[in-house]
Amino acid sequence: MLNSGEKSYYRALLALKSKDYFSASENFKKAAPYFEKDKEFKLYFETTELLIAVKNELARLKKEDNIEIEEVFSNG
Amino acid sequence: MSQIDTLKSLETLLESFLERVVKLKERRLTILEGINRLDDITRQSSQGLDITDNIGNWFATRQQWLSEKILKPADVRKINTILKELQKELNISSDSSPAKNKINSEISRWEDKSNQIIQKLTLKRQPEIKNSPDNHNEDTISLFSNTLYRLSGLFEDVSENKKHILTVLNDLLKSAQAQTNKDALILSAFIIYYLKQKGYKVEPYVKKLKEAETLFKPKMFNA
Repeated sequence: MLNSGEKSYYRALLALKSKDYFSASENFKKAAPYFEKDKEFKLYFETTELLIAVKNELARLKKEDNIEIEEVFSNG
Repeated sequence: MSQIDTLKSLETLLESFLERVVKLKERRLTILEGINRLDDITRQSSQGLDITDNIGNWFATRQQWLSEKILKPADVRKINTILKELQKELNISSDSSPAKNKINSEISRWEDKSNQIIQKLTLKRQPEIKNSPDNHNEDTISLFSNTLYRLSGLFEDVSENKKHILTVLNDLLKSAQAQTNKDALILSAFIIYYLKQKGYKVEPYVKKLKEAETLFKPKMFNA
């Protein structure tokens, strides 16, 4: 039988294929204890985490931008 | 460039990298998907569900894996372990249904073919032994890097299902002797040195290593 780490790694790659980075991250986290010494695994996991952080930051900045625009309109 | 532009550029770069990772892993992903599917079918069988159609489809779509030789020995072993579980679940007897008998014969056919592949893969290493020495003009960094890559794969194959590094070392030394497998010899030496650093008593293994090494020496000098 496949162990749960292997299954999670597989699901993470599958999620990357469909560009579902949040699901990929969740599955990488589940697989992580099984692939502690696998450099390739770490690279994919950390890249996904970085991408999510970038996306979150972009979303935050865009939100701030929208608020500023709204303020300009309300004051103007 | 604004902060948003910089982040967008980084986002594109990371997405493109992950896309390429997936592309690179496409074939591997297909194999993992197949193993995962087989695992699911076995679980269905243990829950008493009828798996005839599912397992039939599995063999129909994955049979070519063996002829295309795209499976690693570790994959073959993994699939065979799952199939053995499934065979146990089938509980074949003289009263078994034709469907069960068909599944059973498909499993046996797969195992026969896959065993041939594992043996062929082992024999394929032989030419590397003959050609490897004395490549003074080649890039030594790449040669060492390639060897390291092969050793890592060999370790993965041999260590699977083993509980202790000494069992792995024993198997590698046997392989180094019986098959004059040079990669097994190098990996054995590596493990012995590692164990020595960890405080293990390695003398019996060093003796075996030296015995195995004598099998390689004439070839090294004749090359």
